[in-house]
Amino acid sequence: MYRGREGQWAWMLHRLSGLAILAYLLIHVISISLFVFGERAYMAVHTTYELPIFSLGLIAVTAGVVYHSLNGLRIIMMDFTGRGVAYQRQMFYAVLGLTVLATAYTAFVVIGRLIGGEA
Amino acid sequence: MIRARTLTDARQQAHSNAELNWWIFMRISGLVLVFLILGHIYMTFIQVSESDATYIAVVNKLQQPAWKFYDWLILSLSMLHGVNGARYSIEDYVRSRPNRAWVKTIFYTISALIFTLGTIGLFSI
Repeated sequence: MYRGREGQWAWMLHRLSGLAILAYLLIHVISISLFVFGERAYMAVHTTYELPIFSLGLIAVTAGVVYHSLNGLRIIMMDFTGRGVAYQRQMFYAVLGLTVLATAYTAFVVIGRLIGGEA
Repeated sequence: MIRARTLTDARQQAHSNAELNWWIFMRISGLVLVFLILGHIYMTFIQVSESDATYIAVVNKLQQPAWKFYDWLILSLSMLHGVNGARYSIEDYVRSRPNRAWVKTIFYTISALIFTLGTIGLFSI
């Protein structure tokens, strides 16, 4: 019933962003947990993360999380409210719009900091 | 089978109570995680820079029980939510039964190890 339209794209992006966030989460937990092995182990990895490429990567993670969160709310609206499904298409565009806004704000702050010479 | 769109659909389609409970869990944990994770990203990535996340800063923050609990709630809820989400994908795309069993076994083991490492880390200070 969804095939080829907004609903399918929303579903596909939800699954892709979910898997990407999970991959990030697993790596994030490992690298942050390194502090149990002391300051040297933690900082050895952490100084690498100060490279600009990782800050840009975090903007992508933020975009994925914001999309997944908002589309998750869209799914909840569809599942638990009577009128949710009728507006699923409009809600998808609202989700996309808000994701772009939030990502633009994040990029503005983070890239501004990078240009200012701060990681 | 069409995707369950209401609680009634989900109840009818679920093969077991466990499957229905996971369906409900994904929505409730998702709702909680929206606030926990967007808050976490805002506080530790947007408000402050990457170079602020020094060893001292992490240790100081995690010494406070409130942050320890906040982070552990994120860790446990997002692990359950994420691993169950990945299980849906594995069941959709890994078609052969033995392969599916192996992929799940390895994936669950790695996830459990990382969850244990994270929990030990959080409660070691």
